[in-house]
Amino acid sequence: MIEKTVYLDNAAATRMDEKVLEAMKPYFFETYPVATSEFGYSLGIEAREALEKARKEIASHIGADGEEFIFTSGSTESSNLALKGVALALGEKKGRHIIVSSIEDFPVLHSAKTLEKQGFSVTYLDVDNEGLVDPDRLRDAVTDETILVSIQHANQEIGTVQDIETIGSICHDKGVLFHTDATHTFTRVPLDSQKVEVDLITVSPHTIHGPKGIGGLYIRKGTPISKWMDGGFQEFNLRAGLENIPGAIGFARAVELITLEETERIKKMRDHLIGRVSAEVSETTLNGHRSKRVPQNANITFHSVEGESVTLHLDMRGFAVSTGSACFSRSLEASHVIRGIGGDHERAHGSIRFTFSRYNTMEEVDAVIDAITEVVNQLRIISPLSKNKEVGK
Amino acid sequence: MADIKIDVRGETCPVPLVETRKALRKASPGDIVEIIGTHTASKKEIPMALKAMGIEGADIQQEGDVWKIRIGV
Repeated sequence: MIEKTVYLDNAAATRMDEKVLEAMKPYFFETYPVATSEFGYSLGIEAREALEKARKEIASHIGADGEEFIFTSGSTESSNLALKGVALALGEKKGRHIIVSSIEDFPVLHSAKTLEKQGFSVTYLDVDNEGLVDPDRLRDAVTDETILVSIQHANQEIGTVQDIETIGSICHDKGVLFHTDATHTFTRVPLDSQKVEVDLITVSPHTIHGPKGIGGLYIRKGTPISKWMDGGFQEFNLRAGLENIPGAIGFARAVELITLEETERIKKMRDHLIGRVSAEVSETTLNGHRSKRVPQNANITFHSVEGESVTLHLDMRGFAVSTGSACFSRSLEASHVIRGIGGDHERAHGSIRFTFSRYNTMEEVDAVIDAITEVVNQLRIISPLSKNKEVGK
Repeated sequence: MADIKIDVRGETCPVPLVETRKALRKASPGDIVEIIGTHTASKKEIPMALKAMGIEGADIQQEGDVWKIRIGV
């Protein structure tokens, strides 16, 4: 077996940075108590101060104050709280209509479906063939009953970055709250809550070499939102449960370690892969927008092959990538994102997502391109799906 | 040393290869992994994957619609 895996599934989870672990360690073994108020013991006060410092640091990266940012267990919980919390706060007072895009990640999509079962009406806004929401269609979809629009900053599979400045201003012009899931853009694509009219932002460090099991939700001051999990009074009485202080410290450290230079280096790897594959492999389609896409994502359909077969063969050669094909995903359905941008099942089944990180190199990118070219070549020869046995351009 | 037998008759791509990978992950040096299947493409695909993993010399036999691949780990 190949000893070292070239890991290119960084949209799913990243390798944690040792510096993050070092920052977290004291909060497991030294300053380990729960965060206490100034009336508590000193070690608990130290824990509280560290938590608040981490909160402020992370919030400042989206132009927010510490009081506008709460810690959660991850992106899933953040988006659940955003949708269900606003629905709880405004459902009886203002209206019961929510708008989401059809290619949202599951936390938003499934929260919307749960609310639908509870009597809310939901508009699933279609996107164009590059994954972009049409602002005019959004404007038309808002009604007097609309309480919230939730449209992701960037897509989890195809990496398309939405024009959230325009979307936010439409929402606020119409008097509607706006939530965006920024899991795949946070620190990689600028997002300033002072400039964008956004009320709620989901973020997580698991995509930026931080720990898993912690996430965050930006909540603009004055946003009506109710807690949906009962317990103590933590996180401004919005998120009950013992604070994950090591996680929060690791989250802040992960944010601090991201640099523009690193993001540029990652973007070059993405562009190199897209460029070489489109030049060297026949019958491919780039999924998502060519330029309005996150720096770390390349998603390409290799027609006439099954994504699962490609991922398996790449795995056996030491490369980890993901596919929008059915069996790979736990939903057992072909990617709703590829179908959402107008792709058929064949396009979804042959889609491969490569996502890059701090720990990838250009040599690894070249190696995966060589490997996938060979794998696709061989699979097309034996594939019953393939009409064209000629592979190279 | 053990013989690990996998029966993937009636299964199509990529299941035979998934099962082969699973068996190879569990196998110890000296074990024999034997896969029995019927899907034509898998008969070609499995040796291709083995070669990429540096496993040479798989024994491939065909009897009627059924193929058998024996791999020495």
